[in-house]
Amino acid sequence: MRRGRAARGGIFTQVADGETSEAISGGSAEAALALLAEMSIDLRGAAILDANGSVLAASDHHDRWREDAAALFEVADRAGGEPVEQVHIGTEQGEVFALRHAGLAAIAVTERFALASLTFFDMRSLLRDLVRGGDGSGPSGP
Amino acid sequence: MVPKPHRVLLDRVSGYADEAAAYMRRRRAFRRPFARLYYGDGRAEDHAADSIAGGELFVAAGRLIEVAGERPKV
Repeated sequence: MRRGRAARGGIFTQVADGETSEAISGGSAEAALALLAEMSIDLRGAAILDANGSVLAASDHHDRWREDAAALFEVADRAGGEPVEQVHIGTEQGEVFALRHAGLAAIAVTERFALASLTFFDMRSLLRDLVRGGDGSGPSGP
Repeated sequence: MVPKPHRVLLDRVSGYADEAAAYMRRRRAFRRPFARLYYGDGRAEDHAADSIAGGELFVAAGRLIEVAGERPKV
């Protein structure tokens, strides 16, 4: 995995919980993503983005993740007229989970019928730990 | 003749497993695509696939599914 390039500003600036994230290193984000992959057997791919929409870590195709994640949040925010905190979309081809927390965003694509509550819990734990300066593993793991 | 206690236990566990398997089969057969948004105040909204917002959400999700590809994972 590699660190992504800077993205268009402003797309991720409206965070639902109103917090802002400190600078997160790409290495920590990549470690967090690897941990998420290890925990979630249904995971196909995922990405972690910062408040500007830049990709901190992604399974592959950083530019695509940045653009498509931004598009998803844009559409979701417009749909409800306010910033969303979580998005869960289930299709025949797979499921998409998106979560904002403390100025960061995590997107995960899983197989169908992944357990939504567990997936969101894992994603939130990772972001919470990243904001605290960890690598997603938490004091004793997520 | 009274069945041995471990047989009773095995039968019960098998029964639960059968029920769970049937539930999962029904779920796979009847579950429809959905788009659900959650907000900071705990509110959740469903958007039907045939609505404008729902259609856009499914398109955006489809792109993400495409970029994620198939397994192997991250």
